[in-house]
Amino acid sequence: MEKLLQVRNPDNKLKVGFYGITGCAGCLLSVIFNEDELLDLIKVVDLKAFPFVKEVNVDESFDYIFVEGLVADEDDLEVLQRLRKNSKFLVALGACSCTGCVPAYRQFTLKENYEHLLYRKREEIKDLQPTPVDDHVRADYYIPGCPPDKKEILNFLKGIAIGKEPKPYESPVCIECRKNGNQCLLDLGKPCLGPITAGGCNSVCINGGFECWGCRGPTKDMNLPLMIKMLRDRGFDDAFIEARMRTFVGLKMPIVEEFMKSKEAGGKLDTKFYGKKEYFE
Amino acid sequence: MLTLKQEKKRFREFLEALSDSYELIAPVKRELVKFDAIKNINDIHFEKNSYFPVKEFFFKKREVLFTFNGNRILEPKFENKERVFFGIRKCDLNAIKHQDIVFMQGANDPYYIAERERSFLLGYHCNEAPSEYCFCGSLELEDYFDMMFYDKGDHMLVEIGSEKGMALYKKFSGFFEKSTRLIAQHEKKIPGADRLKVKDIGPLYDNPDWKKGVDICLSCGACTALCPTCYCFDIHDEVKMSNPGSGERVREWSSCQLPEFSRVAGNHVFRNEREQRFKHRIYHQLDYFKEKYGIQMCVGCGRCIEGCPTRIDFVQIINEMKEGEKR
Ligand code: SF4
Ligand code: SF4
Ligand code: SF4
Ligand code: SF4
Ligand code: SF4
Repeated sequence: MEKLLQVRNPDNKLKVGFYGITGCAGCLLSVIFNEDELLDLIKVVDLKAFPFVKEVNVDESFDYIFVEGLVADEDDLEVLQRLRKNSKFLVALGACSCTGCVPAYRQFTLKENYEHLLYRKREEIKDLQPTPVDDHVRADYYIPGCPPDKKEILNFLKGIAIGKEPKPYESPVCIECRKNGNQCLLDLGKPCLGPITAGGCNSVCINGGFECWGCRGPTKDMNLPLMIKMLRDRGFDDAFIEARMRTFVGLKMPIVEEFMKSKEAGGKLDTKFYGKKEYFE
Repeated sequence: MLTLKQEKKRFREFLEALSDSYELIAPVKRELVKFDAIKNINDIHFEKNSYFPVKEFFFKKREVLFTFNGNRILEPKFENKERVFFGIRKCDLNAIKHQDIVFMQGANDPYYIAERERSFLLGYHCNEAPSEYCFCGSLELEDYFDMMFYDKGDHMLVEIGSEKGMALYKKFSGFFEKSTRLIAQHEKKIPGADRLKVKDIGPLYDNPDWKKGVDICLSCGACTALCPTCYCFDIHDEVKMSNPGSGERVREWSSCQLPEFSRVAGNHVFRNEREQRFKHRIYHQLDYFKEKYGIQMCVGCGRCIEGCPTRIDFVQIINEMKEGEKR
């Protein structure tokens, strides 16, 4: 108890910051949705910067920096590199930051197709190919999800506040889904990616009747060939499957490319594709 | 064993009376059949066994073991209001028996014991196997109930199996008549439910055919969550943000099918390979438990097959194995 209280000693508090680069701000909102416990957070950590909620933000020497979003232009890259330099640990917050997620779609299309959709005139934007944060800097932890589960963010913060190594949630969505007493959507012919997706979201989508899109990324030991076979057996064609896989696991995991390769191999699937190693370590 | 008789009309009245005096929990059909508190006895589902096991009422999916604040520990208050379960099938009654062995005789688990003690178990006998996956007949199941109801068309025959059952009968004796006819052993056999042909799978451990199951296993853990006998759990602390020295210690279901289940300090995972995990479940069910407690743990309900996304039928896999084959 004494030891735990020490953490809350003002001089000893962890210096923490929350920043967003290109993203939808949903992950930062997930932090704020913890409103009931948010005020307690500042008793335990020193919230140095959170431009979303604070007026004065000190931008130097952090213990933990949480970064939402991905690198999509040169400004993002500059911010990210500065944050990395200034912090001991960098946490990739949310699917965009971890894997690329939806904003990374831009990589799969031509500039002509989106140019006219830009908010400002293109000349003002020095855009880069959209890429997750650890394509540029080291990420020490990943909190996946689109958006991440608000409780998971809170647990992460509680964990670091008491000096506990944050533990990723590795079990598939299915186990939470079964505990929640849902009917399996695969049995209803829906393309649920629950069996290969790391849970921790309390199977929120299936609880509401929607199949899992895999926003939390793959489990370490996913049986991808089998998952693909199951989707094919349920009548989904390869274009559909590829699009689904790409949606969230996007750029980070080479499974999309591997999947393409497997098609070239006449639909014969190799069992040896797993996610990029660093992502899991 | 005391055997009684009930016309169907009286049986319904008995259920009504039960639900007036107790919380009555029985199978209901929603999207899938599951045990739930009954308001109207017409909601009770008799045709199929419940898709989800009844174990969650005793060994809870998530249970707060105690709350703590520094070194002070506050144990939870145990519920002691009596409740009645109706419609538990023979397989599931035996599954409760096997969990009783683990939690009551083995571990003396106060949380489980409290839930069990406040419960009456009223069984409903299967006249025929309600699912193509059933194989209770291949296992050594026993009578394990407070009361058991045998559906004989226009009437029920009822056996009293325990002191608790006797007490309940005495309270509601007006709804029953004495029966001159006893239930014969052959009536307790369930036609079409003896699919598993192998008694001892010990010698089959290295058989190459396990691959038939392993290759189409997702390690999703659905089988263990749906199994009425699986009892593995994980324990963790959930601390308060306002005071990380206080919080709750929570127990939750876990599964041997997950790599993280056998992870120990130093990040070593004992069963990292899917094959090890897949076989562990089957061997725990049919072999290891027997070694320890003298009885197979599996009760043949077939849920782990029906609920498996790829319908891995380990019974069929085992039946097709040729002894002596090695990898
Ligand atoms: S609905 Fe999806 S997450 Fe749930 S058990 Fe089925 S496959 Fe798994
Ligand atoms: S169910 Fe799937 S898509 Fe939905 S939040 Fe969980 S991981 Fe993401
Ligand atoms: S396993 Fe046996 S007791 Fe259980 S539901 Fe099937 S036939 Fe009935
Ligand atoms: S339910 Fe089937 S696929 Fe899932 S872990 Fe069990 S055996 Fe494997
Ligand atoms: S192992 Fe399967 S068949 Fe046996 S008790 Fe568990 S769910 Fe039922």
